Amino acid sequence: MARITLQNIDLEFTVGIQTDQTVKSALALLLASKRHSVRTIKALQSVSLAVASGDRIGLIGANGAGKSTLLKVMAGIYPPTRGSVTLEGHVCPLFEFATGFEMEGNGWDNIRTRALLLGMSWREINAKIQDIAAFSGLGDFLDVPVRCYSSGMLLRLAFATSTAVDPQILLLDEVMAAGDASFIESARKRMNDLMGRASIVVFATHNLEVLPRFCDRSILLDHGQLVADGPTSEIVHIYRDSVLGEP
Amino acid sequence: MKRALLDLLQSARLWRIWLRLGLQDVRRRFRRSTIGFAWIFIHLAVMILAIGFIYGNLLGQKMGYFIPYLTISLVTWAYLTSSVVEGGTAFLNSEGYIKQISLPLYVYVFRSHFTITLVNIISLSVFFLVAILYSMPFAFGCLWVIPGLFILLATSFLLVLIFAHLNARFRDIAHLASLGMQVLFYVTPVMFPADLLKGRGFEFVVVLNPFFHLLEVVREPLLAGHPAEVISYAWSGAVVALLLGLALITIGRYQRRIVFAL
Repeated sequence: MARITLQNIDLEFTVGIQTDQTVKSALALLLASKRHSVRTIKALQSVSLAVASGDRIGLIGANGAGKSTLLKVMAGIYPPTRGSVTLEGHVCPLFEFATGFEMEGNGWDNIRTRALLLGMSWREINAKIQDIAAFSGLGDFLDVPVRCYSSGMLLRLAFATSTAVDPQILLLDEVMAAGDASFIESARKRMNDLMGRASIVVFATHNLEVLPRFCDRSILLDHGQLVADGPTSEIVHIYRDSVLGEP
Repeated sequence: MKRALLDLLQSARLWRIWLRLGLQDVRRRFRRSTIGFAWIFIHLAVMILAIGFIYGNLLGQKMGYFIPYLTISLVTWAYLTSSVVEGGTAFLNSEGYIKQISLPLYVYVFRSHFTITLVNIISLSVFFLVAILYSMPFAFGCLWVIPGLFILLATSFLLVLIFAHLNARFRDIAHLASLGMQVLFYVTPVMFPADLLKGRGFEFVVVLNPFFHLLEVVREPLLAGHPAEVISYAWSGAVVALLLGLALITIGRYQRRIVFAL
């Protein structure tokens, strides 16, 4: 059984002190014994959420509302400042394509590396690598270093590999999400299959058209706060009203 | 603290990932270069020739002793330096991974330590070439180098662990550390024999320098075929214990905040 439980999550970034703190500035702060140069950004404020097996959850909200941050908390990448995160099940975050590509390596090497990073076992990789290669449609190019690939070919390789995982908890950010017009039909189908295999899907998007197709439940975030949680059609409605200011 | 130690344990278990990434890093360094790995040897050989013949003569050393001494000293020292300087970039260089993929953090420390160790094992083989060249006798006492190498391995890992955190958090540390290692290179008997300092009132430089003792536990068995002095093992043990303490404090304090510091 997969499960995600977030209880009163606060996440604060302290800008200034953490992005470019130097020994000198730390000393200066220590001597001045005030911390006025530190700016705190509240990325998430008292977010509580329970996600159970079978849930398909959409995350919506304006840019900077905290969608990606919340996904990263669920992925265990950002430890919350306050509150507790309980994860049961293997988490597979798909936030972007490029991470883990070794430009000097060939396609096969990169499939293996990327798959390992996504949490596949060696045996699983061996079992799936032919399927990944076939879906990528790259053929003999798989023997060539990926630095020679076009960006479209890189995308195919990354997409084919990333969608081959069998995740318990799948976290998707916009870029990876299905429904983008540029995805060919087979890619869309593969993405749907992937989302179907996972026992939990959390999916951040701006595309309100595709959301109801994938998610029965949605969450609206605004300025780091969870504003509404409920059936997708209702939440999309609330969001449209708040953004467009019309009934 | 408990969380950090658990992270360390989980990271160690993901050996397939850090071995692969580490190997990739080593290969990338030499890929598309015509002579590839040979650069490691050439680098060392040129250093040994330059320092060896100038300082060997300047200090009135017998080449048959001085060249092997210099070789093993430089190799060992390079291992310590790269642990501090290169190991310090472990998190900084893995920023993309840390922010996008949920793997335990110390996978990237193991990756960096593995890369550094592999490169230095390759350069250690130069010592054996030199030993053959100068037809140094092999004694079973040389095997005392094994505990020495383990001490060095542990020291290096702890240095990578500590400096990876500190460098991510305080960006000045990298500059400070590389300056520190350079000064220590001249203060420590690396390219001159320790005996030269004795009887000149400079003995304390050697005796109280933990880096000297770390060199000794590797150097002495290989060159003389017997274990280093007990005091050197004691100092080395103390260094490892101290670094372990510092590492525990560092990981307990900074582990959770690393992702925000990048």
